[in-house]
Amino acid sequence: MRKLSIYILSILFLSVSLKADSFSFSFFQNMTDNIFQNRYSGRDQLSQMGFYVDKDFSKISIFTEGSYSYLFENPSLSYYIQDLGLDYLHPVSEKAAFYFSLLGQGAFYRSDYNDFNSLSFNFLAAFKTYLSQTSILKSNYSLDYKSFGYSLFDFVSHGLSVSFDKYFQTRTTLKSEINWGLKFFLHPYSSQEVVMVEESGGHQSGRRSYLFMPKTQFEGQSIQVFSFAGLIAQGIGGNAGFNISGMKQWYISGENPFTSVEEFYMVENPSYDRFAWEGYQVGSQVTLLIPWNIELKIGYTMGYKEFPGIESMNLDEELLGVTREDKRRSFETRLEKNFARFSFFLSYAYVDNDSNDPFFDWHGNFLSAGIEWNMLFGGRK
Amino acid sequence: MKKGLSLLIIVYLLGFWSLSSGQEHQKPQHFYNVDTEKKIKGTIQEIIMEPRYKDSSPFLIIKLEEKKTHQKFIVEISPVRFFTHDFHKGEELEVVGSLYSKDGNQNIIARQIRFKGEIVILRDKRGFPAWRGGGMKHKKRRKGKGF
Repeated sequence: MRKLSIYILSILFLSVSLKADSFSFSFFQNMTDNIFQNRYSGRDQLSQMGFYVDKDFSKISIFTEGSYSYLFENPSLSYYIQDLGLDYLHPVSEKAAFYFSLLGQGAFYRSDYNDFNSLSFNFLAAFKTYLSQTSILKSNYSLDYKSFGYSLFDFVSHGLSVSFDKYFQTRTTLKSEINWGLKFFLHPYSSQEVVMVEESGGHQSGRRSYLFMPKTQFEGQSIQVFSFAGLIAQGIGGNAGFNISGMKQWYISGENPFTSVEEFYMVENPSYDRFAWEGYQVGSQVTLLIPWNIELKIGYTMGYKEFPGIESMNLDEELLGVTREDKRRSFETRLEKNFARFSFFLSYAYVDNDSNDPFFDWHGNFLSAGIEWNMLFGGRK
Repeated sequence: MKKGLSLLIIVYLLGFWSLSSGQEHQKPQHFYNVDTEKKIKGTIQEIIMEPRYKDSSPFLIIKLEEKKTHQKFIVEISPVRFFTHDFHKGEELEVVGSLYSKDGNQNIIARQIRFKGEIVILRDKRGFPAWRGGGMKHKKRRKGKGF
């Protein structure tokens, strides 16, 4: 606690001393009855405390952000994340501009989860242009490099996306987007290699013990995916709107190199990301501005995901000979109120995940509340 | 490990500090005047990027036609909103901001906008900018599950 106070005071002192343009401090409290998102439903609470500082130097903005997350029931999974980045906006005409950003990030976990420690680098280049006053073309390229405590997870990835939207006088917006991604694992394994696998507590800890074991027959080094997404949004008056969206993703090449993949609530699990699956997702969302200018969002999403290269297992950890498939339905609602200096939010989500791997047949409730306090120092024009 | 992490944080915050020291703020050509604050509801007529302040990124500028009076206003939003929000001609926008005249045009420095059922705070009540660097990356930080 004393160390934490010293950190906060140091950060506040340095922010004022360095004449930052803005400084913000945030506190989020999250609760769930299924932290590991599997059938053993482990309850936990996660307190997240963070700060953000930024400063403009001519047309370049430098920003840094840190957050510490503490899990009450699984303190060994507590972690600290620190970002440092810069961005630059470069207009090419009155209607078009480039945006570039560089971001470095470090994630540090306690000793039990050293495998999740990571250092990463991200480069983003984006271009946006108005084709007419009612239609926009956008294109993004992103490069990610991530090095983990357990080198099996290390990767470089590339992502490219192009989107086009059109607004109609009926207050309808149509949007379509295509995405391509390539993830290249930096440490492929062959059957000759001996891989050290750290045993965790198996079902006692609500997790599988062999999760990080690579498949010894894995030969491919990369996964390539392609996706198409569409959205129809309709405005109703000035205070309401709804949208319906859909997305389908295909594997072009490669497959997951792990024996199993899993996702956690609020904790990044390196075995799972957008490259882990193919399938589809459809959803709808209503946005309302209710009295006192509070934003209310209500959404429902359903999806089907297949995990190429991942074989389902029974609860005795015996292979079932079929590729893992999940069908997920989720309901989400969120309230948010923004002031110039403060913003508050409250959100609730219910997720029901049906899987042909019984270990991942689960449902869960997720409740979050938070406050963000912004201090503006007035240096920025 | 913990000592290394502490050292890392302190070193780069100090680096941040040293980079920023000696930066002189340029006087802007126009100021946010709380006494001329006005609320306008209108329809978007044109969206452009335009330099507004010396040594600063160009701003997203929206030309707005007020619904009741059909009067036209030039609304100064912020630099980063060009990438985070997609405005189109014909969409409704409500603006709270400081009004000033220049070259026969009515200009507004926006403090708050209401767009597609969302309130976006651009400046505090004294007019200090509330937008941040890392506009496209920062939005990705998770606040609970979903949205």
